[in-house]
Amino acid sequence: MEDYICNTIAPRVQGDGGWVEFVSYQDHILTLNFRGECSKCTILDRCLDWICQEVKRDLQEEITIHPIRLKPFFWDNK
Amino acid sequence: MAFVEVIRRSMRPEEWTDLRYVWLKRGIIKEKYEITDLQIKDGRQIGENEYIYDSDEYRPLKKGDLYFTPDGTAFIKGHVTIPDSLVNKELVFTLHTAAEMIVKINGHYAGGIDPNRDRLSLNPWLIQDSREVDLEIVGYNRSKPDDERNPDAMDSRGCRQIFEGAYIAVVNQPLLSLYYDLTILLDIAKSHHFDEDYRTYLNTELNNALNLVDFDTYEGVEAASHYIEEKIYQNTDFRSSGNVALVGHSHLDIAYYWRRIHVIQKNARTILIQMRLMDQYPDFKYAHTQPYTYEMLQTYYPELFAELKEKIQSGQFEPVGAMYVEPDCNIPSAESLIRQCLYGQSYYRKEFGITVDNAWLPDVFGNSWILPQILKKSGVSYFVSNKMSTWNDTNRFPHNNFMWKGIDGSKIYACVPPTHFITWNMPSQIQENWDAYQDKETGGQTLSMFGYGDGGSGATEEMIELMHRFEKLSIMPKTEHMRADEFLHRNLKDNDQLATWDGELYLEMHRGTFTTKSNLKAYNRKLEFKLRDAELLSVLRMMDGTPYPAKELRACYKMLLLNQFHDILPGSHINPVYMDAMKDYQELETRLDHIIGSGSCYFNTLNKPRTSVTFIPDATGNIVRKGQKGYFAYPNTLALSTSNLSYTSNEDSSWFSINNLQADTPYYTITFDPDGSITSLFDKQRNREWADGCLNKLHLYQDNPGMYDAWDILPNYKDVEYPMQVEKPLKLLYVDNTVAELRTTLYTPSHKSTWEMAVRLFHNSPFIEIEHIVDWDEKHRLAKVSFGCNVLSRELVCDTSAGYIKRETHTNTSWQQARFEVCQHKWCDFSEESGGLALINEGKYGLGIEENGMSLSLLRSNIRPDILSDIGHHDFCYVLLPHDGNAIDARINDLALEYNIPLVKADVKTPNWNFGDLYLQAVKLSEDGKYIVFRLSEQNGHRGSIQLPQAVKTMNMLEDITGETTTITYSPFELITIAMTF
Repeated sequence: MEDYICNTIAPRVQGDGGWVEFVSYQDHILTLNFRGECSKCTILDRCLDWICQEVKRDLQEEITIHPIRLKPFFWDNK
Repeated sequence: MAFVEVIRRSMRPEEWTDLRYVWLKRGIIKEKYEITDLQIKDGRQIGENEYIYDSDEYRPLKKGDLYFTPDGTAFIKGHVTIPDSLVNKELVFTLHTAAEMIVKINGHYAGGIDPNRDRLSLNPWLIQDSREVDLEIVGYNRSKPDDERNPDAMDSRGCRQIFEGAYIAVVNQPLLSLYYDLTILLDIAKSHHFDEDYRTYLNTELNNALNLVDFDTYEGVEAASHYIEEKIYQNTDFRSSGNVALVGHSHLDIAYYWRRIHVIQKNARTILIQMRLMDQYPDFKYAHTQPYTYEMLQTYYPELFAELKEKIQSGQFEPVGAMYVEPDCNIPSAESLIRQCLYGQSYYRKEFGITVDNAWLPDVFGNSWILPQILKKSGVSYFVSNKMSTWNDTNRFPHNNFMWKGIDGSKIYACVPPTHFITWNMPSQIQENWDAYQDKETGGQTLSMFGYGDGGSGATEEMIELMHRFEKLSIMPKTEHMRADEFLHRNLKDNDQLATWDGELYLEMHRGTFTTKSNLKAYNRKLEFKLRDAELLSVLRMMDGTPYPAKELRACYKMLLLNQFHDILPGSHINPVYMDAMKDYQELETRLDHIIGSGSCYFNTLNKPRTSVTFIPDATGNIVRKGQKGYFAYPNTLALSTSNLSYTSNEDSSWFSINNLQADTPYYTITFDPDGSITSLFDKQRNREWADGCLNKLHLYQDNPGMYDAWDILPNYKDVEYPMQVEKPLKLLYVDNTVAELRTTLYTPSHKSTWEMAVRLFHNSPFIEIEHIVDWDEKHRLAKVSFGCNVLSRELVCDTSAGYIKRETHTNTSWQQARFEVCQHKWCDFSEESGGLALINEGKYGLGIEENGMSLSLLRSNIRPDILSDIGHHDFCYVLLPHDGNAIDARINDLALEYNIPLVKADVKTPNWNFGDLYLQAVKLSEDGKYIVFRLSEQNGHRGSIQLPQAVKTMNMLEDITGETTTITYSPFELITIAMTF
């Protein structure tokens, strides 16, 4: 899973100014850090659904994603 | 007396007008018919117009479906038969999306859809007597829209979009016209740039006009338009002044929040959209820059390129900007900037038969003093660059239309427009431009560019419709839509009233871009000189009968120039852009090494004798420098000559001693601190101390500039400093008869980064070389090394690559205060009349100006736009060099060239070229293959003449022959191009 996130999903997210990092995967719960543009995306849920679909298609695993948004200090105002 | 603020809870009249303006927008589409036969295929771009697909099959696309994926391209095709109800009507295709789409209808490029426009005209593409419509769409979704200033675009951002349906539709044209009336008038009503009484009047009359409309049926639209015509447009009681030239333009970053492969499509969409607007509005003109973008259109969209050529011929589409891309104008060398012009202009000449006489650089982060001469000698008389007026953080740049005098005294016409290069042609923006214009009495018209940009897109129908209404508004400045060259020629040419700015165009902002992504900067420097060597050696081999690899060298140069784009080389981009650039650089180095080849001897490609200590890579050597084994030698090689060098180990170290961190050499007695800093540098020859405080002191500062993280270093960066910790104190690691090497290892307080420093002292050279080997993993930190000099001077002399610039080190006025961080090239020097200290680097550009010296900016660690910016391994060197006299007396520039241009292994004959003190900046085969072209650079501020053994052609930088001579007469900082037959 870590390899898949780092080498398949992350490059696509990075191509758009976003950033995703693998944190952990346990009991079908995938924890990911979202940084860069992703950290303030208002429709991140749509991307999470997409990642779940990609994982299901490529790794045949049903997962739930626990996202952690890591905003840079200059956007961290709420 | 107490004041109670009244907060209204009911709707104000202005809010009622705003609400109805929104309702009006809803009525623009009068009739619509949904296209239901749509299919989609997802792909991802992996090269220039090269894709991989999730599946070879298309799948149905229905309204409400999610479509697009991160960094994804969608291919959509569809079919619709025009229903009876819409036959013989003016139809549009409409689709609301955040994506950037090129739309083909019935096989023709019909137009573009993007966050800034959601419809295009359908009728021109219908097949006669047919109701059938075939659609092909290539859509590229960006979570960062073309222009973050457009609120509509921001509302719909995101990687995954909901498909809102595609339609053929009929526009309610009278209502649309009224909508545009409201757009322009509401902008004025809300803007503090306009007369308050007029705005009150407008609010009243707009309410009256909208009262005539039934918003259920949209009846009364014509009556409202008629009311506005009579009451507002024909009112001339309110007057303004001013004269503003409006130039259509779209700023297109070759790479930024997107990779350069994506710009192929962005560029095509932008050009397509602008050409369709020209079809719709014959008076519309548009200026598009960067020959590279034309080259890409020609390669990947030949059909559009053929149409573009016609539009250029007709004068509606205007190529601007003589440079190949809009490069950074601080870091590239003089020769790079010349090649930007040469290859840019060559393309324009070849494909369109024109020489563009302007440099169009709206977004660059300041401009080097060497530019006026380069531009002038490249057929460019006009310079346009916006940022100094709108981004300076300390001083208001005092001119907008003016003359710019360069380092050599060359003058060109310059325009720094008062406002941003991206506007949407609103009256408030135009009035603001006029209000801010500082050369009202001398400069003629002021320039306002309009069109969405950063990622292209450009002007919209709305911008043009508004423009057609400006003359009806007496409250607005006079406006005139024109080509860029028309503006420049009419207002600047032969205008003897213009003030002159003599100096660099320093941008008081984005000072971090001299340092961010230091590997890019170092690679760029290295490859600039490798290109020089590759061309020079190719010429020498050609003189011996080997074919000159002109095509390959041109391709290599263009790859370097592309990566000098102002959001690539400065480091202000996302991580994939950095990876692309490094891949390009690695490929470029391989190709250049192949051209340079090898040989049995070491060849000095400099046209001056080489005397200073030099590192020679050699597997048998005992020194490891920048990861390579080798040894230090004193080549004593004549200009453009070969020498044989070989390593013979001599372990006699009697010239060197060290005791309690006090080192003794034939030149110095040096007292170190354990961290490698120098607390005393006593010069034995000159019997003087050079250190005042510390030389070579490493600092780690907090670096939190905010949103413009990669771009900026703030004036208060020294407020918070983190002390570096010493892991291994400085100690002697190696000494032989040539060199002594001391090393220390430090780490940052976070323990995340290790910092090894090697100090090299030499038996027969006054050079003190310092190498830094860093594994860097910091966040929001700036690493600098400072040099507190025991020198009384008020000027820091900095190399520009084509002469030097003197910067004041005091902070008497706000102008010096703002220049706390500047750009240098190979060296800087801080000297008294009798001597000083030079700092020669291999690829560092950011330089802090201090009262008693300088600080070299080494590494940053920002996180926007690139989370990983500068994280990783770094290895870089510089030399500290005490000397007699000033930098010129001490030949610092020549020594810096020697330091940056290593000896190459090549078996070539010494040519009979003698250009005296001038630096042979480049030698190449002319673009037409007829001449050997020599570029000579006077870099020391001297005048003189050189008698040549034969007559040579004189050339401009575009390689046009301008005359013939047997004597080169040069003046300070002059760049001279001559040519010889062979």
